[in-house]
Amino acid sequence: MNVTVRRVLGVVLGVFCLPLAAIAAESQPTHEFRLANGLKIIVREDHRAPVVVSQLWYKVGSSYETAGQTGLSHALEHMMFKGSRKLGPGESSRILRELGAEENAFTSDDYTAYYQVLASDRLAVALELEADRLASLKLPADEFAREIEVIKEERRLRTDDKPSSLAYERFKALAYPASGYRNPTIGWMADLKRMNVDDLRAWYRTWYVPNNATLVVVGDVQPEQVKALAERYFGSIPARPVPTAKAPLELAEPGERRTTLYLKTQLPSLLYGFNVPSLGSAKDAKPVHALRLISALLDGGDSARLPARLERGEELVSGASTWYDAHARGDSLFVISATPNVQTGKTLQQVEDGLWRQLKDLQDNPPSAEELARVRAQVIAGLVYERDSITSQATSIGELETVGLSWRLLDQDLAALESITPADIQAAARTYFTRTRLTVAHILPEATAHE
Amino acid sequence: MSDRHSLRDSLLGVVLLIGIAALLGAVARQPAAESQGRAALESLSSLDQQAPARRDLQIQTWQTPGGAKVLFVAAPELPMFDLRLTFAAGSSQDGEAAGLALLTNAMLNEGVPGKDVGAIAEGFEDLGAQFGNGAYRDMAIASLRSLSKPELRQPALQLFNQVIGQPTFPADSLARIKNQLLASFEMNKQNPGKLANLELMQRLYGSHPYAHPSEGTAQSIPGISREQLIAFHQRAYAAGNVVIALVGDLTRAEAEAIAAEVSAALPQGPALAKMTQPSEPKAGPSHIDFPSKQTHILLAQLGIDRREADWPALYLGNQILGGGGFGTRLMEEVREKRGLTYGIYSGFSAMQARGPFLINVQTRAELSEGTLKLVQDILRDYLAKGPTQQELDNAKRESAGSFPLSTASNADIVGQLGAIGFYDLPLTYLEDFMSQVQALSAEQVRAAMAKHLKPEAMLVVTAGPQVPQLPLPPPTDKPAAQPTGIPEH
Repeated sequence: MNVTVRRVLGVVLGVFCLPLAAIAAESQPTHEFRLANGLKIIVREDHRAPVVVSQLWYKVGSSYETAGQTGLSHALEHMMFKGSRKLGPGESSRILRELGAEENAFTSDDYTAYYQVLASDRLAVALELEADRLASLKLPADEFAREIEVIKEERRLRTDDKPSSLAYERFKALAYPASGYRNPTIGWMADLKRMNVDDLRAWYRTWYVPNNATLVVVGDVQPEQVKALAERYFGSIPARPVPTAKAPLELAEPGERRTTLYLKTQLPSLLYGFNVPSLGSAKDAKPVHALRLISALLDGGDSARLPARLERGEELVSGASTWYDAHARGDSLFVISATPNVQTGKTLQQVEDGLWRQLKDLQDNPPSAEELARVRAQVIAGLVYERDSITSQATSIGELETVGLSWRLLDQDLAALESITPADIQAAARTYFTRTRLTVAHILPEATAHE
Repeated sequence: MSDRHSLRDSLLGVVLLIGIAALLGAVARQPAAESQGRAALESLSSLDQQAPARRDLQIQTWQTPGGAKVLFVAAPELPMFDLRLTFAAGSSQDGEAAGLALLTNAMLNEGVPGKDVGAIAEGFEDLGAQFGNGAYRDMAIASLRSLSKPELRQPALQLFNQVIGQPTFPADSLARIKNQLLASFEMNKQNPGKLANLELMQRLYGSHPYAHPSEGTAQSIPGISREQLIAFHQRAYAAGNVVIALVGDLTRAEAEAIAAEVSAALPQGPALAKMTQPSEPKAGPSHIDFPSKQTHILLAQLGIDRREADWPALYLGNQILGGGGFGTRLMEEVREKRGLTYGIYSGFSAMQARGPFLINVQTRAELSEGTLKLVQDILRDYLAKGPTQQELDNAKRESAGSFPLSTASNADIVGQLGAIGFYDLPLTYLEDFMSQVQALSAEQVRAAMAKHLKPEAMLVVTAGPQVPQLPLPPPTDKPAAQPTGIPEH
């Protein structure tokens, strides 16, 4: 067991192709089409159970927001449940609940998405109400006045009273000096306090158009049926031009940045972030795939390097993990977080030194064939496991499409990762793990601030 | 960085509840959207008489020679399988050593003869197999997910059987995991919601084994010895004390062979004695001073055990009060009409012995007293009058409609099988529960809720700063449409 939670690697990496790969080879029938108004639709068939997931993804999120306007995308997501032409405030949720559906929405840097999971004979209801709020959202001022208070409570709960989230918010603002990725998705409290319903109306009119959205449907459905329903409910919504959304690009080497945060925490911890490209911003995909493999080598399972060497071997950390999102519109961060093992008396400086030893090892020495084979085996199995969840499948498809990549990358990913050599991994480690790309945050208990 | 989280996950990390998503029946469905008198969605009308379809599970069951109960569902669609062992080896079996059950469970994959923790992890990961474990109050779990091809399946199972049957509990691993637990206790101190929960369970259960946290305490963990782990494993990980759930691309013969090998790999011995019932706690408030922006408020009393005949009525009654998100009375009044909170939930945890009934809400500190009183008023009113006919009908429709979701994936099914086996429920449990829910009247729900919950018997725990209090804002005067869902938006 790990007291810290470790990510499952299969979700992070995509596909592979070896003796094992035959198992994962056949992907489900997937269909892609577009309505005349520009709405893109992707349908993946999965007939194991009479259920379906429908997700509508909009190309807008907190990285699209400007200073003083942070939190708009997320606040609009809340207000999408407050009434449209056919639906009163909260009524879409009530209807879906009575149908036994799971439904919700989520907002991120690069997207805002709404979803329903329900018995497949009810798909039409999900599509009709989604189309209604795309076409005719009401945004009543009195509903907004209450909902913005809910959003402030959400911020207090999830960020202000949660030291790890608060630290990450501050860290992110430092690590992205040039792009909208610095914005917290929920918005700065000062911006929430001055947000008004007209801001949201403008935001809605600008981005919520069919030609800026992707509908993903996975489950016990036929493509013709989904196409007919989509045509019926979305077909008459007119297209409108949307502003050109420029990919969030960063300075390649902004220089080393360090901050020390004193928070209501009991234990020290640290965050490391290197400015790196993503598949959305890189001209050459090779270094991006190499960084994905590095993330797996460091933290892809209990036998990976950080748990094996730093947590168990040196007992330097009580937990350490890596995080790298290769599927972004713009430049990304390679993040490492770690908590020193205070029982063995380790300090943040010792943890930093230990992390650098691991990064230097990646730069100086090629990974072993056994390590790479292990990563590959997990990736291949992960592909099969992911197919057990229709929601996972839909989310992978929708996320890729919404950041400007193709869902077909899922099928090509195995080959892409296979093409990465040990030398490519070393080269990526040398290029990207440098002080000039690094942001460091030391998170310390408040009580130590004056010592 | 998705801004997606599930608040409900934090409601009660006590026990794996059966995904009460619910069942179907031959339910006569009615138009769902007429209540607003609004131009209803046209797609709703075509659904009127359709009963939701569901996956036909065909659960098979048998017993191994060692006494383990097996539940199996064949799912040949994907080339994989899930194996889940549920032992009556949760922290309620800790005795004087709080945390013993969790430490034993956490140490299973730290060493077997000839392999250390690293070699075990490599063994599973080389095959693409995933080992999982966890310990809660009633139960401890060990699970394996693997591809089903024999050349991958066999070595994965062989290693799994060593891990569950022959753990060596190496001393260096024990020291490391104890340290990680001690670090996590320090982390808890920065989490007012967690502190409130710990206090609540202590007050609710007093000297009963459910009172202490499954992960133990900073006082109890250091003193637990390797010998205690060995003895606990011998006793609680016995073949007679486990339920084996198996779902995936396997034939019955293959499933039987796997179950027999699992059972034979375990120590041989009987089931442990069932848990005794807790005694009634002392009602009233207590407060934890904490320098947060919000105050966390918990209200609780003893609820029910898994054999409770009123469970379907209480399940449905709670769905209307505060179960599952938007559209409940609590969410409607506290969040939607007044904007006081991001989320408010209520729920029963039906356990081996009486589990808690809990209401959980957070709000800005200066409104916490008003919010607590509002919640108490809503509860008192609901227990006195019960649900309206409309609320009852809606909740029944929801239960019927969500049934197919509760068994859609292999992961869903193996969870259902584990709970059915562990709590000794009949194989027809899902269907039985559903038809009981569908047969309930509003009066039956009211009576059941009023019988099991008393407003004056509630324990209240708050955690937050002491600040001057403000009056609540007035509610919206609109006749509110009831929203619903999982509160993330």
